Amino acid sequence: MSDAGKFLSSSSCCEPSQPQHLPHHAYTLALVGNPNAGKTTLFNALTGLRAKTANFPGTTVERRVGRTKIGSHQIVLVDLPGLYGLESSSPDEKLASDALRGRLDGHPAPNAALVVVDATNLERNLFLASQVLELDCPVIVALNMMDMAKRDGIRIDVAKLRTELGCPVVPISARSGKGIRELQNEIQRLIGGPDAETAPQAKPGCGACSGCPYQARYEWTEKISNRVMDGTMARRSERTERIDEIVTHPVVGVIVFQLVMLVIFALIFWAAQIPMHLIDHLFVTIGAWVGTIMPAGDLQSMMEYGVIGGVGGILVFLPQICILFFVLSLLEDTGYLSRAAFVMDKVMRRFGLPGKAFVPMLSAHACAIPAIMSTRVIENPRDRLLTILITPLMTCSARIPVYAMVTALLFPNSPWKAAAVFTAAYGTGVLAALGAALVFRHTILPGESKPLMIELPPYRLPGLQTALLHTFDRAKIFVKQAGTIILAISLILWALSYYPKSSPPATAVAMNVQAAQFEKTGDTNQAAFLRDSASRQTAQNSLQHSFAGKIGHVIEPVIAPLGYDWQIGIGILSSFAAREVIVSTMAIVYGVGKDNAEHNPNSLYDSLRQAKRSNGSPIFNTATCASLLVFYILAAQCLSTTAVVRRETNSWKWPLFQIAYMTGLAYIAAFIVFQVVSRLVS
Amino acid sequence: MTTIDHAAKALTCLDKLAPRVCAVVRSIETDDEEMQRLKMLGVCVGRRVELVRGGDPLILRIFGSQLGLSAELAARVRVEICQPGHCALREDNCA
Repeated sequence: MSDAGKFLSSSSCCEPSQPQHLPHHAYTLALVGNPNAGKTTLFNALTGLRAKTANFPGTTVERRVGRTKIGSHQIVLVDLPGLYGLESSSPDEKLASDALRGRLDGHPAPNAALVVVDATNLERNLFLASQVLELDCPVIVALNMMDMAKRDGIRIDVAKLRTELGCPVVPISARSGKGIRELQNEIQRLIGGPDAETAPQAKPGCGACSGCPYQARYEWTEKISNRVMDGTMARRSERTERIDEIVTHPVVGVIVFQLVMLVIFALIFWAAQIPMHLIDHLFVTIGAWVGTIMPAGDLQSMMEYGVIGGVGGILVFLPQICILFFVLSLLEDTGYLSRAAFVMDKVMRRFGLPGKAFVPMLSAHACAIPAIMSTRVIENPRDRLLTILITPLMTCSARIPVYAMVTALLFPNSPWKAAAVFTAAYGTGVLAALGAALVFRHTILPGESKPLMIELPPYRLPGLQTALLHTFDRAKIFVKQAGTIILAISLILWALSYYPKSSPPATAVAMNVQAAQFEKTGDTNQAAFLRDSASRQTAQNSLQHSFAGKIGHVIEPVIAPLGYDWQIGIGILSSFAAREVIVSTMAIVYGVGKDNAEHNPNSLYDSLRQAKRSNGSPIFNTATCASLLVFYILAAQCLSTTAVVRRETNSWKWPLFQIAYMTGLAYIAAFIVFQVVSRLVS
Repeated sequence: MTTIDHAAKALTCLDKLAPRVCAVVRSIETDDEEMQRLKMLGVCVGRRVELVRGGDPLILRIFGSQLGLSAELAARVRVEICQPGHCALREDNCA
């Protein structure tokens, strides 16, 4: 029998040394397995909530690390990305393979490997197992999904498989927790010292075949599976085939997929509204409370608007992120997501996008943040990057208040025309995204999306625990990594609109004096009205004289060709962090007051309609409104998105490029719209 | 670069295979990244495959699992169809 060296040019082994950053008694165990073999479920079953998700240094490929104690041994479990073989070219799989072999800098090889093998698909899964066995590092095989195998009529002689592979094999079903204790015992035995069984491991070999290493290895796996399996080749359950008849159908499948996405969309769009309102309300209340307990001044304003407003602005996205990831995790677990990618591939390919890009693109209509985080379902990094770049062009829910304001200004008494404007705005976003994808495919990301090659695993009931842990993980990453950047910039924006401080205008001072007199005479209504007007004028005045106001003046020549004056400039500047902010900023700039505008939007629309340029013509004419609408459809005005893109691309280059191209596109489109419409209308 | 060493037998491109017909992979054209991956997933010489759904993309059955594959890639794989009473698989095992 020939040895393993035939297959691998260098089979660097797992070294017995301990990772430096870990306590020296900790034993690292790498979890390896095919995608869909149930690796994550086993990882969760072994570690529970004590897991941390982090990227491999310098990459966006994630690994999960968890600690667990078996007997008296501290064990560090590393969940590597799923892979089919060790010589893969895909970056996720390559990293997993390198990590296993100890080829990553600062990332010592694990002490042992726990290979998860899907019992319902032994022939494919043993391929990877055989490669790992050749690494000369202790291996335990966890034969997962034994319950499914039993259901499908597959019987596996575990003792025989143990002899054939020459390593411990433990039958488990990670979902139900069956066999986990036996697996822990086996791990404990392994740490205790190599026993007779684990020392000389049988190596797969096929000396006669020198041509194709895959062929030789698959012949070996076939031979082993035939020896240990009872009966004929594993047949998938008929249920899976019957469902696939429908959901992979070129026409019916697309319809089914769109229905599924519609449900997800409804969930993140409407169901998330309730918790979002609650979070928003909570932070407004806390802010107001802080405003009352702290002495008025810089610190109070910073706490109320900068810190608490900023934290609220981060947490308000959590319901949408949680809902999307919970549902996506369930869908992925059932096996449906692969089918969705399968049916959408042909459509999306025309725009240079992979089939899976449809999931983030539709989710982005609710919010781009969870959508961009969900691009991880796309394996190819270039395809993923392309999807990330175009996703924020979709009309997210934060654009709706802006669309509402503009349509109200354009067509105050015509709901049909307003609806048409809304539809056109959504359509423009989608078309711009697909167009941008095509352009990028011919410029910065040349080539086509990778041809489809995707495993369609049998349908299974999804695991609730896995989905919940995944959701929790995503939420934590968002708050920790995106949250800090968002908070920092929200503080900067607060400072820009707060400093330099200006004294209240003379009229406001006079009104307050008058109000005090009314209060003395007991006319509280009149007094409250005056005080309210005074505070609105003060707010208007201080914003106009702040840095933000000054910048508004500075950028006026730049935005004038789009039909905007310096006051709209302040609005655009303030909506750099979050586009919906323009509505409340406009309310302050035009002296309507933020609260008034929220309770009675018409008061804002009326003042906007009356706003005049220096030459006496109305600012918000048809051309300006149309130009503003187009600008807000296309421009990158969401800090949280930028922060998430930075995390998902692991660089500042792509988020900055995204801001540049989207804002550039918005500028040019708004310019054209303003110039054309103002000529047509006048 | 095609290596047809069974020229006498009728080889079909994988994408032209009729559904529910068992066939054995005989040769794979040009060895690039995609084809490497395809082989790693089990579509390599000597493996038995079956078309579950034709078209583009198509669905293959290989071992117990199914694989969604673009027709463009499938066209680069040549297979020999198993005839009734003659399984192509039984002849070409490496000895």
